[in-house]
Amino acid sequence: MGATRTLLLCLALGGGLWAAFVAPAQAGERVASLNLCADELLLRLADRADVASVTWLARDPRGSTVADLARDVPVNRGLAEEVAAEKPDLVLTGAFTTRTTTSMLRRLNVPVMELNVPQSLDEAYAQIKAVAARLGVPQRGTRMIADMKQAIATLPPATGPAPTALVLRPNGFTAGRGSLADEILTRAGLDNLAARLSPDRLGQLTLEEILAAKPDLLIINGADDAPPSLADDLLHHPALAPYAAQGRLVSLPPRLWACAGPQLAEAAKRLAAARLRIAP
Amino acid sequence: MMRLSLLLALLTLALMAASVALGPVPFDLTAAIGDLFAGRPTLEALVLAELRIPRAVLGAAVGFSLGLTGAALQGLMRNPLADPGVVGVSGAAALGAVLAFYFGWSSVFALALPLGGLVGAGLSTALLLVLARRGASTATLILAGVALNSLAGALTALALNLAPSPYAALEVVFWLMGSLSERSFQHVALALPFMAIGWGLVLATGRAMDALTLGEDTAQSLGFSLRRTRLLVVGGAAACVGASVAVTGAIGFVGLVVPHLLRPLVGHRPGRLLLVSGLAGAALTLGADILVRLIPTRPELKLGVVTALIGAPVFLLLLRRLRLDGE
Repeated sequence: MGATRTLLLCLALGGGLWAAFVAPAQAGERVASLNLCADELLLRLADRADVASVTWLARDPRGSTVADLARDVPVNRGLAEEVAAEKPDLVLTGAFTTRTTTSMLRRLNVPVMELNVPQSLDEAYAQIKAVAARLGVPQRGTRMIADMKQAIATLPPATGPAPTALVLRPNGFTAGRGSLADEILTRAGLDNLAARLSPDRLGQLTLEEILAAKPDLLIINGADDAPPSLADDLLHHPALAPYAAQGRLVSLPPRLWACAGPQLAEAAKRLAAARLRIAP
Repeated sequence: MMRLSLLLALLTLALMAASVALGPVPFDLTAAIGDLFAGRPTLEALVLAELRIPRAVLGAAVGFSLGLTGAALQGLMRNPLADPGVVGVSGAAALGAVLAFYFGWSSVFALALPLGGLVGAGLSTALLLVLARRGASTATLILAGVALNSLAGALTALALNLAPSPYAALEVVFWLMGSLSERSFQHVALALPFMAIGWGLVLATGRAMDALTLGEDTAQSLGFSLRRTRLLVVGGAAACVGASVAVTGAIGFVGLVVPHLLRPLVGHRPGRLLLVSGLAGAALTLGADILVRLIPTRPELKLGVVTALIGAPVFLLLLRRLRLDGE
């Protein structure tokens, strides 16, 4: 008898917790975001009136794909004080950014939803679904996912052997095995050389190693209008000039495949188009 | 002296060859050189022309500049601890280059990068000479250098944090420690002309430096203008250190260690010390740059780490010896 009661209590408590976890936002719930990827999902999915604030990064068109949506939304700089003062009903954070602020908000009993960095398209779809559900707009999430799947399914079909490709990011980082970028390359019909060269997801390569790998296509993962830095300087090194001269260099802004969202399909489209150019 | 110069020049050439032969991807060097001269656009020729040769040339030129300037500053200030890194000339050059690079001036006008370094180096050298002329002791001069270095370092960090690029703040290590990694012929072309002018200006002071050891009055009575010598050293140091730091960051201690090792070999004559210090500076920098590529770290170790590991203990030894001499 006692055991049954304990069990029932546990079930009730557990059910209650579960309900609290998935409880969708009600109308008028205000949501803040502390991470650029979360900003993009929040601005795309939620009603404008429900957005308490997004990061200041969301307004910079160089890094953000939602700069126009963020123009008239309040912005924060990821500090606990400013976000807590907005008294949001939910805060979206990234798993690797503003850790101190996130733990401070938890101590203040502000509900926090933490977003991981997706490592595959499936993880990206799952994240969109989870955020849309939490924001109380599951149908908008479903539509976004369906559009992305549709765009990726209608990419030009790959014929013949896949051309090899290598991603070059600022400071010589690449997109290695098991990363979201790796999967997008594969979907676009390209063979990611870094998956063989670099042991981890974000391997760092020297220019000499990149040239020696002889990729058919070099994907420069930097914005053309990036402000000057040594990290970006590397992307314009004269040793890479033959790739540009032979039309085997494609520039892809990092904002297109850093976060879960419809821009991932855009990245796949551009890469598939580049593949068609070099291997028609 | 001739034999010593020749020997050091040969050592520098050998180290440049070793530097060219060394890289993350091993390949047949003779075939690559053949391809390069025949104009065949092979991968090996590309790596050689765009990555390895610029690195070796830049290592030699920057090392020559630092060794030469160290010897010249030590001779002119008659201060054994003067070195572009220690007295803050390199730090100020880095500040100038950072302002020119990160705020977009050098993307509009390429020469702004070496010129920024030049202005920083020139201002700090002139300031130090004013201090030295007022009869400041060795200790005062070095302390002024420490202050100048801290100020330049802090302003560099501030500038990098204010810079529009999100990567800028992380790149402070390059500017304070220096590196020859992934430099290109563009950097050689930007810096080498200024460095060559600087070498000419500094080397022209050789005989005046020797005369200065007899005292300022004697030197002047022998027909050497102190003002002219000072101007040549300030201009020369600004040109070579400014241009060097603008493309490789501040590599420390080369100008401190090298003149001290060579001084007994040239009969303690500061004029003769100049050229050999330049050559030995080139050899030391190339050797350190070979070492950072042999130590398997990722990303590559900064060059200044190795030169400081060699130079800082020498600096301490020098301080100890100076105290024993009762200064």
